[in-house]
Amino acid sequence: MRIWTGTRAIAEAVKIADVDVIAAYPIRPYTGVMNELAKMISDGEFSAEIIVADSEHSQFEIAKHASAVGARTFVGSSGVGLLYAAEAITVTALAQLPVVALAGCRALDDPGNFGMEWNDTLVFRDFGWLVSWAKDAQEALDMTLVAYRVSEDRRVLLPQFVAVDGATITHIASPVTPPDERIEGFLPPYKPPYPLDPEYGPITKSQHIAPSLIGPEQRKVVDASVKRSREVIEEAWRDFGKRVGRSYPPFLETAYMDDAELAIVTMGAYTKDAVYVAKKLREEGERVGVVRLRYWRPYPAQELRELLEGVRGIAVLDFSYSFGSPDMGGAFYNELRAALYEANQKPLILDFLFTGGREPSVKHFREAVEITKRAVERGRPERLVYWPTLRGDDI
Amino acid sequence: MSLQPIRNPKELGPIDYYTSGHRTCAGCGPAIGYRLATKAAGPKTVLLGPTGCMYVANGHQFLTSPYAVPWFHTQLGGGGAAGIGTAAAFRALTSKGKRKREEVNVLVYGGDGGFADIGYAGLSMAMTYDYQRLLYILYDNESYANTGIQASSTTPWGATTTFTPTGRVRRIGNERMKKNVALTIAAHPGVRYVATSALYPPMDFVNKVRKAFNSGGPAFIQVLTPCPKGWFFDPKHTVTLSRLAVETGAWALWEYEEGAFSLTYKPPKRRGLAEYMRLQGRFTHLSDEDIERLDRMIEEQWGLWLESDRQKRLILSWTPPPTPL
Ligand SMILES: Cc1ncc(C[n+]2csc(CCOP(=O)(O)OP(=O)(O)O)c2C)c(N)n1
Ligand code: SF4
Repeated sequence: MRIWTGTRAIAEAVKIADVDVIAAYPIRPYTGVMNELAKMISDGEFSAEIIVADSEHSQFEIAKHASAVGARTFVGSSGVGLLYAAEAITVTALAQLPVVALAGCRALDDPGNFGMEWNDTLVFRDFGWLVSWAKDAQEALDMTLVAYRVSEDRRVLLPQFVAVDGATITHIASPVTPPDERIEGFLPPYKPPYPLDPEYGPITKSQHIAPSLIGPEQRKVVDASVKRSREVIEEAWRDFGKRVGRSYPPFLETAYMDDAELAIVTMGAYTKDAVYVAKKLREEGERVGVVRLRYWRPYPAQELRELLEGVRGIAVLDFSYSFGSPDMGGAFYNELRAALYEANQKPLILDFLFTGGREPSVKHFREAVEITKRAVERGRPERLVYWPTLRGDDI
Repeated sequence: MSLQPIRNPKELGPIDYYTSGHRTCAGCGPAIGYRLATKAAGPKTVLLGPTGCMYVANGHQFLTSPYAVPWFHTQLGGGGAAGIGTAAAFRALTSKGKRKREEVNVLVYGGDGGFADIGYAGLSMAMTYDYQRLLYILYDNESYANTGIQASSTTPWGATTTFTPTGRVRRIGNERMKKNVALTIAAHPGVRYVATSALYPPMDFVNKVRKAFNSGGPAFIQVLTPCPKGWFFDPKHTVTLSRLAVETGAWALWEYEEGAFSLTYKPPKRRGLAEYMRLQGRFTHLSDEDIERLDRMIEEQWGLWLESDRQKRLILSWTPPPTPL
């Protein structure tokens, strides 16, 4: 066992995966992972081309093109840096290149803000990237290894973000056990079907097209890959569990959900606090459970429906927001509501927005459950969206 | 594997790596440049194409492809990064024993919009690395041709474009002076090879491409490629205009090899600029005096080119922008 920050843990995974090309450009809180990798490479712990790029746009374009040749690649960013790379991020998925990137969730400008928010990563929900969401440094390491396995699978061939909540995971040191030699064979070498290499003959990749010829069909191909990724994700975690002796449920992690009447739904680092709150409330006789999404894309809609159908009220711990959205809630909330629209018994779903990077505390989570409970008892919510950490009136 | 200089066009052989199946305009200068550059680079080459005419007008209909070597699109501003990513992958895979040891040329063929403007930072980044057999060619049609002829920072003074039209109060059209991208690339310490070229004389361009790949570092060539659609001329004049650009001195051919500057063509007697400009519709609104003034500016500039050639090192000029008469 080691005591590692989240960024260090992810760097270890990149080393274990024997990544070939890495592209770096600093922005807090993701920067640390590149600092670690640069040092490892300088010390000869493993070998890779590490490019100090001039911007995130270049950074993601470098990774995309290295991947096209057949290299295993690693890249990442946070906050406005991710959005600066948005164009390259788009084409990486549509060219079906299995780049793996760290998304170190950070509030978007303006004003500059070092706090944690999910909007930078959730923006990419529509781009064809798989998005997995770790809850701590250990899982971030394991998830990065699994990301390569899933993304490079011939049935998938899609890039993937491993999202980690900025600061709470990236900068906090915690116990991590790296996998030992039992991991060998888990990650076969990356062999692209059509590498951009004269050795394999001429291919023309991503040429301009006539929409009338293959416009929707090309989109459908990517859609089918995202769908197929579900079974590959399940297989990969099963195999990982067998080899390493640490098993994870593929899509949803739950606590106290067996007989729950109220559920907290969230992702990421604050799951642990949510579980703590649920435990305390259980001691007081409340039937509260916690559900955490481990993947944002593909979205585990079916699993959520099965799990939450019998629940009466849901408190969403949401670090995203979408100004002017239906009910003025976050993207995370709106997607959950969309997924549960098909449920036979629809629970009340309330959104608790933790915006602007201000840290919440267990007190806020507890209040969220209490507000949800009162809404359930009354049979209707007073309102749907709350800003618990806001000072002053929530107008 | 060094690419030998070509003395006779026949030595290039009959095989084209940029071949049939494209839909560029008749007389397209950038397309002729593509054909020459890929012929010079040979079969062990990967091509990367930033968005622009050389993306949209090649391939496309019925999914045809004119490329007989691997080709991949990159974003308009991504040319510099794409070359680095590709070269880095080859180096990593060969040095780690994941790919057999065999050199591959990486050729990024990007427009002036792509390399002089939006992708300039990425191109500059690339010039600070030491990847070998990596060549960036800026095909300079002095406009954003694919989006319908807008001014780029290499559009010459006086040209009309859709973003710099002449009008009742703005007589001149484009009032910015052409950015000399190649000179700025030469300002990167350690850069092995930088050159300017044109479609005429063709062997000058072919040999510069081969030299660039042999140079041992990332290299850059800015090739002037007339565009009938944007310059408003009869497609039969593409090569004539390339030749006139060189012989009037409007476009100087030079190379910069490991710090040593030399002109690769010295007009024995410079032809008057009017001959070049009057063939093009984009300059018709300019008066004879405008053109005479530009001619005088070129004369002064040539004093510096010749002096740079004599001293084998670059001397920068400061040119006052011509204000409309
Ligand atoms: C980020 C971005 N902005 C704008 C465009 C629209 N666009 C497509 S081609 C093009 C022109 C590129 O001009 P240039 O690089 O000079 O190449 P040319 O078209 O002249 O061959 C532009 C602006 C784009 N594709 N991407
Ligand atoms: S517009 Fe100009 S650059 Fe584009 S294809 Fe036509 S001639 Fe070539």
